Amino acid sequence: MISGTQASVKVSDLRREFKTKEAPVVALDGVSLSVSRGEIFGVLGPNGAGKTTIIRILSTLLLPTGGSASVMGFDVEHEPEKVRHVINMASGADKAGYDFISAKRNLWFFSQLYGIQPQIAEKRIGDLSERLGLTKYLDRKFYALSTGYRQRATIARAFINDPRVVFLDEPTIGLDVMTARSIRDFLKDEVRQHDRTIMLATHNMAEVEAICDRVAIIDKGKIIAEGSPKELKRTLGVPALVMEVTPPEKSFDLLAQVEGVKGFTSASDEERGLSTIQVVVEDDGTARRAEEAMAQSGHKVIASWRKETTLEEVFVAMVGRGFKEREEQDGD
Amino acid sequence: METRPWLRTMKARALVRLWSIFGERLWIVVNMGFPILSSLALSLLYYSIGATGYIGFAILGGVMVAFWGNVLWSMASQFNWDKQEGLFEIYLTSPASLSAILIGMSFGGIIGTAPSAAMVIGIGWVLFHPVVAASWGAVLLTFLLTLVSLYAMGMTLSSLYLTYGREAESMNNVLQEPVSMVSGLYFPAIGGASPFPFAIQAVASLIPLTIGMDALRKSLFRGMDVGSIWPSLVTLAVMAVIFLVISNFALKALENRGRRDGTIAVRIR
Repeated sequence: MISGTQASVKVSDLRREFKTKEAPVVALDGVSLSVSRGEIFGVLGPNGAGKTTIIRILSTLLLPTGGSASVMGFDVEHEPEKVRHVINMASGADKAGYDFISAKRNLWFFSQLYGIQPQIAEKRIGDLSERLGLTKYLDRKFYALSTGYRQRATIARAFINDPRVVFLDEPTIGLDVMTARSIRDFLKDEVRQHDRTIMLATHNMAEVEAICDRVAIIDKGKIIAEGSPKELKRTLGVPALVMEVTPPEKSFDLLAQVEGVKGFTSASDEERGLSTIQVVVEDDGTARRAEEAMAQSGHKVIASWRKETTLEEVFVAMVGRGFKEREEQDGD
Repeated sequence: METRPWLRTMKARALVRLWSIFGERLWIVVNMGFPILSSLALSLLYYSIGATGYIGFAILGGVMVAFWGNVLWSMASQFNWDKQEGLFEIYLTSPASLSAILIGMSFGGIIGTAPSAAMVIGIGWVLFHPVVAASWGAVLLTFLLTLVSLYAMGMTLSSLYLTYGREAESMNNVLQEPVSMVSGLYFPAIGGASPFPFAIQAVASLIPLTIGMDALRKSLFRGMDVGSIWPSLVTLAVMAVIFLVISNFALKALENRGRRDGTIAVRIR
């Protein structure tokens, strides 16, 4: 056991490389962070940034190639058995369960992996299902549940052993707005009422802003910003500039030349025949210069406005591009 | 290792297997129907050519093929399937013993396959009245030891299949028919009455099914008692222990390798 730590999760200079046929892939490159007890901590970044790798190392599925990590004071590399007694994890992409048995029996089975007394397990299943709106569907076979209810069952499973720390990887991916909201409300209640710690890997900025106390923004295996969503947004100073321009284009690289532009992200709408560009600007003067640059390059600025800063703009300001462009860049 | 959580895990996994087997009507039909059909076909063949002394072998083969199929399709490839479905990650991140899960699967598989085996015996008995001269104590002991060593082999295969991807299913296909043939499910595969040369008999003897079938035939149809078939019983027991040890070792080694190399239940996202 690592002594002298108050944090639920502590990660220090964590590295992870994956061997591939071509060259080693560095998934994590010296990540350090600390998550306090009772906190919902988000790890935000585009696909391939290293979020899932952090979650997998902390949940004992993967060893680090360098650095150290501990959960509730137990070293994940050398004391995985102890870590497994105090954690649980769920991935939104998997929604795993045995198809031909009911949701209730699935939950009961998973509770037994922790050696929970059957009566206590029954009570927990009832309580978690009630709070997640799953009670009516408990007797349905797992394959017969809709995506939303399978995910509710997956979330219930992640809390079945009364864990101190829960690792969630994209817990609301592919869900409708109402289901995602009810799951987020449940997660907030769990932390408030049961003093748990939740670490959440996601590329959903709205999710992070809705429930996370603090967030680490990660890109290419490195943490590029850390703080509360409010703090991070405050670092940008002024609201972002949004422009709708025509004709639509895939790239607006000329904006990178404008003095004071910290970064931008764009999306083309072929149907409407325009592109929407979000520009992170240093000040109001930069916003004006960005609009002028667009006009000078032969684009017509149909509309422009300033919007409240989001975490994506924080990412854009740090990296120069948005999540989507980053993922496309990595895919090239 | 704490005993109670271990037992709870084992019991729960056994129940999941049973709920799954008996939860779907089509599964019941498939599980029960196939062993009966193959057994009946061979019994009819032996009957039509007047080799009625072999009909009992065909019925016994039908009983054991049900368990062999269960070992291959519901034991050996189970962890691989669990891995692909994301269930293996849940096992690994819990404090549960993987051996308890596998043993639970085995118990569930044995109990779930028993009705199918009983049906083969019942229908075979009613239709063909096979002649038996059984030493029932030896039959029971041999049957139990055969199942233990067979399912222990299934546990080993399940561990080793973790290194495979989708090709695990092909491995099952590769194993199913050749093992069924050389292990002598429907005819004597080792000893003087075997049609195989010594080399094949030697290889076949490494499979618990071969030793078990041979001893079952001797105790069921030739009335040989424990004192006469003890070498087979000892071999089966030793095989069971060896397979259990290998399985336990392989699970630990593969988990460690998976955590180190990112090869088990790990995708780069």
